[in-house]
Amino acid sequence: MKNKIFTEPVLKNAENLGFFEMLAPPEDISANGHLIDWLFNYTTSMNIFFFVLVCIGLFGFSYLYHNKRHPKPYYTYGNKKAHIIIATVVGIAVFLCIDLMITGFSNRDYTGVFINWPDESKEDVVRVQVLGQQWAWNFRQAGKDGVFNTQDDIVTLNDLRVPANKKVVFQILSKDVIHSLYFPNARRKTDAIPGRVTRMWIEFIKPGTYDIACAEMCGTYHYRMKAKLTVYEEEDFSHYLTEAQQISSAVNDPEDGQIYWGWKWTSASSSKKIGMNK
Amino acid sequence: MATMVVDKNFERERMTSSIAMVMTLISFSMLFATLMLGYVAYRFTSVVWPPLGMQRASLEIPTLSTLIILMSSLSYYMSESSFLQNKLKAFKNYYFVTLLLGTSFMVSQMFLWQNLKLTGIFVDSTVFGSIIYAFTWVHAGHMVVGLLALLFLIPSLRGKRNEGKTQIWLKSVGQFWHFLGIVWVIMYFSIFIF
Amino acid sequence: MAFYEQHIHPKPTTFLSKYIFSFDHKVIGKQFLWYGILFLFVGGLMALMIRWTLAFPGQPFPVIGSYLFPETGGAVPPDTYAMLFTMHGTIMIFYAITPILIGAFGNFCIPLMLGARDMAFPLLNMLSFHLAVISGLLLMGSLFTPLGAAAGGWTSYPTLSTLIGSPGVGQTLWSLAIFVLGVSSTMGAVNYITTIITLRAPGMGYFDMPLTVWGLGLTAVLNAIFLPVLGAGVLLLIFDRVFGTTFFLAGAAATTGTGDPVLFQHVFWIFGHPEVYILILPAWGIVSDLLSFFSRKPAFGAKATALAMTSITILSTLVYGHHMFTTQMSPLLTQTFMTLTMTISIPSAIFFTNWLGTLWKGSIRFHSPMLFSLGVVFVFGLGGLTGLYLGTVTTDLYLHDTYFVVGHFHYTMAASVLLGGFAATYFWMPKMFGTLMNEFWAKIHFWITMLGLNGVFFGMMLVGYGGMHRRIYNPFIYEFTQKLIPINTFTTWSAIVMGFAQIIFVVNFVHAVFFKKQKAGDNPWEVGTLEWTIPSPAPHYNFKEIPVVKCGPHELGNPNVSGKDFQYQTEELA
Repeated sequence: MKNKIFTEPVLKNAENLGFFEMLAPPEDISANGHLIDWLFNYTTSMNIFFFVLVCIGLFGFSYLYHNKRHPKPYYTYGNKKAHIIIATVVGIAVFLCIDLMITGFSNRDYTGVFINWPDESKEDVVRVQVLGQQWAWNFRQAGKDGVFNTQDDIVTLNDLRVPANKKVVFQILSKDVIHSLYFPNARRKTDAIPGRVTRMWIEFIKPGTYDIACAEMCGTYHYRMKAKLTVYEEEDFSHYLTEAQQISSAVNDPEDGQIYWGWKWTSASSSKKIGMNK
Repeated sequence: MATMVVDKNFERERMTSSIAMVMTLISFSMLFATLMLGYVAYRFTSVVWPPLGMQRASLEIPTLSTLIILMSSLSYYMSESSFLQNKLKAFKNYYFVTLLLGTSFMVSQMFLWQNLKLTGIFVDSTVFGSIIYAFTWVHAGHMVVGLLALLFLIPSLRGKRNEGKTQIWLKSVGQFWHFLGIVWVIMYFSIFIF
Repeated sequence: MAFYEQHIHPKPTTFLSKYIFSFDHKVIGKQFLWYGILFLFVGGLMALMIRWTLAFPGQPFPVIGSYLFPETGGAVPPDTYAMLFTMHGTIMIFYAITPILIGAFGNFCIPLMLGARDMAFPLLNMLSFHLAVISGLLLMGSLFTPLGAAAGGWTSYPTLSTLIGSPGVGQTLWSLAIFVLGVSSTMGAVNYITTIITLRAPGMGYFDMPLTVWGLGLTAVLNAIFLPVLGAGVLLLIFDRVFGTTFFLAGAAATTGTGDPVLFQHVFWIFGHPEVYILILPAWGIVSDLLSFFSRKPAFGAKATALAMTSITILSTLVYGHHMFTTQMSPLLTQTFMTLTMTISIPSAIFFTNWLGTLWKGSIRFHSPMLFSLGVVFVFGLGGLTGLYLGTVTTDLYLHDTYFVVGHFHYTMAASVLLGGFAATYFWMPKMFGTLMNEFWAKIHFWITMLGLNGVFFGMMLVGYGGMHRRIYNPFIYEFTQKLIPINTFTTWSAIVMGFAQIIFVVNFVHAVFFKKQKAGDNPWEVGTLEWTIPSPAPHYNFKEIPVVKCGPHELGNPNVSGKDFQYQTEELA
């Protein structure tokens, strides 16, 4: 019962929402999240169409051919030409209307956007290394030297700060068990796996603070593996960056081996396999 | 089989048990195939093989094991065909040779594990060591089942089973025994030689 | 067609030989049924605890909470919560659905529907049940180990399931239990396949078999092929945990590891995707038959249905990668798996058409088995269509590991299979125990279950679309899950309603099995498959004389037949 004090205001807030407000997914803050939302809505409308067909058949036939209304069944094996054609047409219609379309759209978005890694030699991107551990997220951005795993890196725990309107490239690794870096507001997640680096890139467009979660079961306190995402306007971010660099140079002890959990950054195009830099 | 009156049911029971045996062997092959899949995945994603600091297991004992298991398969085959030609004495002798070879294969595995430890390959020394140990363990576990299956032939040796039944038993146990031999040979070439 | 005729064995007389060490497939089927219902109760109770925690975090679970979790005053603690959902998944999949659908109805129906006196290998059949019991004991035993049962999710991905993530004995016992159960199910599967190939009654071709047997047979094929894959996976996991091998260890925490945790995911899903079809195929088969039986007309396109099920079986082995999109496989693999996944909807659409075609112009009798079968069509429609979002890479990037997935697979695996299982129980009750269950309460049971079930699983999909991820203990933690709490509460109330509806079933079932005096006739549903040609309950030798099959299983409503509207399979087609 002691939790009541904490839960009650939250519950009140939630109950004040309308039904559809409640159902809406978290606010989309990324440049490309709308692609996923669009595909979801397309699939939904198609699904509703076909499911309504199923329901018409199911409930309609159940009503029409109740044995009281329709005592004499029509004796057929369903192997007449017309029957086979109908079954085939339905099969092909479903395949063409839903499967082929969503496969096409999804392929286009996936290869064209989500794994179309920004060319880091030409484009100015924000690079972040992420290390998952039980039960926290470590984030690392290179310092002034632009090289990862050095003393002036900005290392934060459960606190990620990035600028808006700039591509952010993540390299993700796990220290112990498998985690999954999950940005509900950007509709994206990527597993953090021990021993292999995975990647993700997102362009955030709406400044503000949001939640980062772990989506893959990682132990008892999986539910508390929460980090904060702060998206800054660009000039605010550069302020933050200079400040944070000074702090980290002052705070980081170069003799302490613990701070060097990062690894050498290799852009997605230049190398496929990266090991831990030991 | 010329001397035996062929019971109509016998032929069909033989079919039944061979269908079941084929299904069983498919199941067992999937088990070993999965292990092999793991091996292939580790082997081809690793830059150097064996991993740095490891050396290959010496080949003497595995080669010896291979010879032993091949011979045991051969002697099982001889045993079965002697029975089919009604040479009961040879059937028994070859059976005991098979049993002996099967047991000595297990002994050679013991030596193998001993020897691996001496050469510095331990269970936990990288996935290279793990593969050698785990795969030979799994195979050895199946060898124990195979040896137990051989013991199920004893009633046939003592003439307690009619010819038809014995034939079915010999065939089914034989399929499993040869299967174990094949698995070992594949493992010998993949994990010890390549 | 039968390869040989089985002998009639004398009826067992002692208690042990009759009920414990029985070779009789019907007794083994009933054993599996009780075993499954017991575990269904345990798993269901766990589900209620999970739901309670999600809706009312930190509040004591009613009635039994204070006995189970005295140290927190009755509320489910987070580590126990992890154990609960792990064990709930494991129990429901391997110890409830598998025994009921495959163990109980597979054992009971296959020989009866084929016109055989028993399975091809009765001893193997008995051992299969006894191994299942041992496995169940291992699993339940793990609850009483010092650090508790396995808590890494039913998928138990390493490295969480290795010593790094779960040091307790519970995870080892879990792996061992799954291995033993795998052996048991593989034995059963070999037996089913051999029986179906060799013991069909004379005259019965493969397409004269009821679709139930088709479903069960295809399930057995998948079981025999893919359970060993899981077996190998958990065996390596056991080696990692007990003997210190390093197959799945990697990263900084693994001192000597050069293994790869993702390999386990591959192995797990090579097995795991066929597994979901292993669970649903028997239900499809049963529903296809029952729809025809109660519409009083032949199954529409029965051959096409059988072939569609077969092609789904084959496709199911090729699509497992869609469970692993977020691990970032190579783009080529990702796209291949997505495309292959999508092709499954063609055969699915075909047999949906066939199901509706069976209803079309029928003369439908709404008995309880029929209601449950219609329920399966409805919920599987929802479950199947929502799978599309998850088979598509980009939407899966968002929905993977959210409650949307949970809702989807509960619709396909839990809801459809549960309703299918109920349909089968109500339908074969007379043949199993000689009595019919109360029809009125059966219908009440159906409607309440249906309401509760849709509330639960649709609610899950809604919160999943809202972004709530799986396996979290407390939705108050995140801002984006807070607004979903009212839906979570609604889901929980639906779950409670659904849970209580099962009491109706249990009372009805127990009453019909033990107390009901009024015997059912030999053929109360008026259908023509072989099991209805013999007395109810089936005698221990099944068929005094092996029947000769002369027509298909769905000969209903033939206008040339007079006096009744169906034909037994032993009668010449009119």
